[in-house]
Amino acid sequence: MDGLLQDLISPALIPNKDGAVLFFPIRHHSPVCSCQLERITARFKPELILIEGPENSNDLIPVLTDAHTRLPAAIYYFYKDKKKYISEEAEDYHCYYPFLESSPEYAAMSAAKALSIPAAFIDLPYSEILIHTKDFEGLRRMQERHSYADDSYLVNSRFRELLCQKTGLRSFEEFWEKYFEIAGLRLEPEMFLHQMYTYCSLTRNGTPESQIQADGTDVREQHMAYRIREKMQQYGRILVVTGGFHTPALVTLVQRPVKPLKLHKFPEEQQNCYPIAYSFEAADALNGYASGMPHAGYYTKIMQGLHEKTLPPEEVYRQLTLALLTETAKKCSRKDIPLSIADVTSAYSMAEGLAALRESPVPGYAELWDGVLSAFIKGERTVASSLPLDILEKLATGDGVGHIGDTSHVPPLISDFEKQCRTFRLKYETIIAQEAEVPLFGGLRDAEKSRFFHRMAFLDVHFCKRKKGPDLHRNLDRSRVRELWTYCRTPEVDAALVEHTTDGTTIEESCRNVAAKRIRAEFRTGTAAQICVDCFLMGIPLVEHEVMQEILSGDGDFFSLGQGLHYFDMLCELQVLYQTYDPAYRQWLEYCFSRLLVLLPPMAGVQAEQAKDCIRIFRLLHGVTGRLFPERQEEFRQALISLLMQPKTEPSVHGAVMGLLYAMDAAYLSQAEQAMQSYLMGTPEHRREGAHYLHGLFETARDIALGDGNFLEMADSLLQGSSYADFMEILPSLRLAFCHFTPSEIQQIAERIAQMHGIRDDLLHGTVYDEALMAFGAELDAEVMREMKA
Amino acid sequence: MNALKGEYDLGLTISYKDIMEQHLIKPPVEIRYAQELDFLSRADTGKRPENWKLSPKAVRTFIIGGRVIAPDGSCMDISRKFYGNDALVERCIITLAGNRGLMLVGEPGTAKTMLSELLSAAACGCSTNTVQGTAGTTEDMIKYSWNYALLISKGPCREALVPAPLLIGMESGIFARFEEITRTPAEIQDSLISVMSDQILNIPELGEEGLILARPGFNIIGTANTRDKGVNEMSGALKRRFNFETVAPVRDVKLETQIILREANDLARAGHIDCPVDKDVAELLAITYHELREGTTAEGTLIDKPAAVMSTAEAVSVYFQTLCHAWYYGNGRMELPVLTENLLGAVCKENQDDLEKLRSYFNTAVKQKSTREGGIWTDYYKTSSLLH
Repeated sequence: MDGLLQDLISPALIPNKDGAVLFFPIRHHSPVCSCQLERITARFKPELILIEGPENSNDLIPVLTDAHTRLPAAIYYFYKDKKKYISEEAEDYHCYYPFLESSPEYAAMSAAKALSIPAAFIDLPYSEILIHTKDFEGLRRMQERHSYADDSYLVNSRFRELLCQKTGLRSFEEFWEKYFEIAGLRLEPEMFLHQMYTYCSLTRNGTPESQIQADGTDVREQHMAYRIREKMQQYGRILVVTGGFHTPALVTLVQRPVKPLKLHKFPEEQQNCYPIAYSFEAADALNGYASGMPHAGYYTKIMQGLHEKTLPPEEVYRQLTLALLTETAKKCSRKDIPLSIADVTSAYSMAEGLAALRESPVPGYAELWDGVLSAFIKGERTVASSLPLDILEKLATGDGVGHIGDTSHVPPLISDFEKQCRTFRLKYETIIAQEAEVPLFGGLRDAEKSRFFHRMAFLDVHFCKRKKGPDLHRNLDRSRVRELWTYCRTPEVDAALVEHTTDGTTIEESCRNVAAKRIRAEFRTGTAAQICVDCFLMGIPLVEHEVMQEILSGDGDFFSLGQGLHYFDMLCELQVLYQTYDPAYRQWLEYCFSRLLVLLPPMAGVQAEQAKDCIRIFRLLHGVTGRLFPERQEEFRQALISLLMQPKTEPSVHGAVMGLLYAMDAAYLSQAEQAMQSYLMGTPEHRREGAHYLHGLFETARDIALGDGNFLEMADSLLQGSSYADFMEILPSLRLAFCHFTPSEIQQIAERIAQMHGIRDDLLHGTVYDEALMAFGAELDAEVMREMKA
Repeated sequence: MNALKGEYDLGLTISYKDIMEQHLIKPPVEIRYAQELDFLSRADTGKRPENWKLSPKAVRTFIIGGRVIAPDGSCMDISRKFYGNDALVERCIITLAGNRGLMLVGEPGTAKTMLSELLSAAACGCSTNTVQGTAGTTEDMIKYSWNYALLISKGPCREALVPAPLLIGMESGIFARFEEITRTPAEIQDSLISVMSDQILNIPELGEEGLILARPGFNIIGTANTRDKGVNEMSGALKRRFNFETVAPVRDVKLETQIILREANDLARAGHIDCPVDKDVAELLAITYHELREGTTAEGTLIDKPAAVMSTAEAVSVYFQTLCHAWYYGNGRMELPVLTENLLGAVCKENQDDLEKLRSYFNTAVKQKSTREGGIWTDYYKTSSLLH
């Protein structure tokens, strides 16, 4: 280390009245930082510990260090920009501040508790950080989740690149593990602090000032310095624990007067924070955005080993390497990748050997990974063969969920959730999965219960799942009158509910706002109509009428509008049954209908694979015309005729349209027959299309085959005129065409065909003979006849 | 060099002087880099596995390069010989120091063979103890065979025994390299299992003398490519006795350019071609190979990947051919039409569709670059008429 970094003197300790202020730079979730922080706290004996963190969450420090709180936990911050301080969009913002056992901030809070001294967060409130951050920077970057604990400056600097290059290491994580996590364990706390400070100073020096200003880092640091100076008046010995990047700046800033920043005041419903149980997966996913050490589970186990103090620090790494190799091998064996003790031994030797070669006293995660790669993957490394590495990564991520001991800070959405669970007598205080049967039409209370489940499902918080009951989205089981739900309240449910805090303070309000958000982001009628179905089931009227109107008028996709027609038709039909009335459904249905009639003629040239969906929409249009808009039947008929006038028509669509025209007016029979005739008289390719025509025709007007028309004769001539190869090709379509008939109708058709060919009725009902055997018999007969003639 | 003499005289006792006098086409690694190996050996203070010529750290330095300072204060810059994944090199070294064989797998032309030669030369001082796997490889070629004249006259005895690389490796405590192992029939591959498990080779004809125990330092480095046709899948039992390392193609254009230049320079020196290499042409070729291999251009345009192997080794070959043409037929300057013709020959080997893919690469990617960057890319684009 000293060879790499110059001997810079650490100025991390500055004098104060009757004492000193000690600045301890950390990397988030780093076990070595936590360990050394604990050791230095014991030596320094501070009277106050100040920690980097939004100061509006100071009340939550006792909740996190509560004896009944189990990590991982996080503080969830939200801010609603109603007054448009950030942008004209008045958006909602949220972020997490996760704590693991290996988090130095948690070690600092625990140390303060153990020493019975105060601890406090000193950073700007979350809202102020956002207000001082430019678009697409810091906590306003475009990503799904934001973590307050951001290490990107430490991890992504140009200095880091040069270090990796010089030390021949693949990544910053490898560098950090080798030179800090492992090597730092044996150092005296002062020396560790010195090295950390040096590293952080060099990183800081290489970072442009413009970048520091863009994400509000400079304003935050000024505020932190102001708070430290404030406390310096009251306390003598202060320990300041901040992310390593800020420490060098803070040391300079606190040595001169700092102007206080004027803070905005927000009501609780616009800015607040809550403690939430967190999971290792979630913490690790956040770390993907350079928000602390990766492999949360791995380093938590290291931290636990170091805390136990039964083994020397290096031995903790060795033991964990062996344990994870064994566990990975076991899990691989369960996935049909046979790995033996010899493989584990080989992987462990590899990890140890690599550690020696890389001059590290013990194997770390990088060596463990290399060991698995080398000894567990047999053959070329591909996505499929990398399963052992995937398993290792999963083990290193960890799979536990935390728990918040002190329940006095419950977010409003969770309160409402619990209240409703109590109202509907749902067992929500257990993590064992429960079942609830809900009669759909039994009364208002049951209807409300069903709506509650649908609301929870809509919020996608993994609380409940419908096992049985009508599925309006897929149009299945609509005759069912009960729903069967399974539900289970896990910590993930709480975490997910908290994420919806920005959407509303009650479940109903959240659902309404989420539905509104989704519909505003939508541009396809079909998907928007599905959201309407959700709202219908949740008993929440959709108020975004104008948005819906815009979607409908802007959507030019025939299939999407067809989907919309189907859903709105269904909702109109079910309004009475579900006791949910909304006149907008009929209005949107009619709009879809009108748009579809306009878009119908060009559907003549639809691709064969889309023909089925197209015909389904034609049938629906026909049904809707008959039931709801009889006065528009002529309009529909004209649209169908326009389709037939197109230069080229897909055969099954052609058949379906002829069928619909015949259904509306029997006079179209001759035209349908003529069309069939033209297929029969055409080239072999056209004859093959005849089967598709029949398929479409029977789909919309199967009675045409049973009437007085010549369709069966024509179908017969189609078959007779086909070669064996052509017949085999059209057979699936023919089978499909005739599947629209009931068994008795098929019997009737068979008898008519038998009559046509002079075949006895009994042959239709007798034993079924093998086709090959029949052919052989016929050949044999012919041969015998020839012989006899001879 | 001593390892070559070892217990057997392989007739390969050549020296640096011999090379200079005899002008060998491709001298073995231990000869080519004799000075570096010698210096590393003198400077090496690390622990060495038994019978290894260098410590694992020194082996790594020999392969990935670096500055070495000897105890006497002298200093030498060791050249980097293998470009790409340094961690892979480290894993290879640790595998060879253990009790498992090393199997290098990957696409053709990814320097698997070169890496196995470097490892053998650095650890054992001998990179020539090699079996080349083919469909016709037999057990005799791997283990041992007999000098039949001696066998008839003296009966089965050590004198009549003709050792093959596996036996040589076992008795000398050096690595046996098995090239293209998956080309040999599965039953021949499996003959390695007992040797790798028990480190014993039994020659029943020799009676009690026939039990050959492997000396420390013995190991096997296999190479197998994953792209070629006509390969035999290794058995699970044999796979278990190897650690596998997948050698990936070089993904960095700058690095690939460097490799092309360095290799072409070496080949030119060996062939006494005193023609300057052209860095711009090397970069152009590296970009072409990189983009065709990845199926996308630097500008993000999607292009069809040819079925042919687009390895760095192929790129070196195309570049060197162009250099030779410039030397023998031209004015000593590399010409782009010749480069394109050589590229055509390298890409369109088996599949006729590859010609169309190459042509469309020129008509999209090269055309775009010629419009945007001009210069050499414009000249390169003009040669697209030769693609037919």
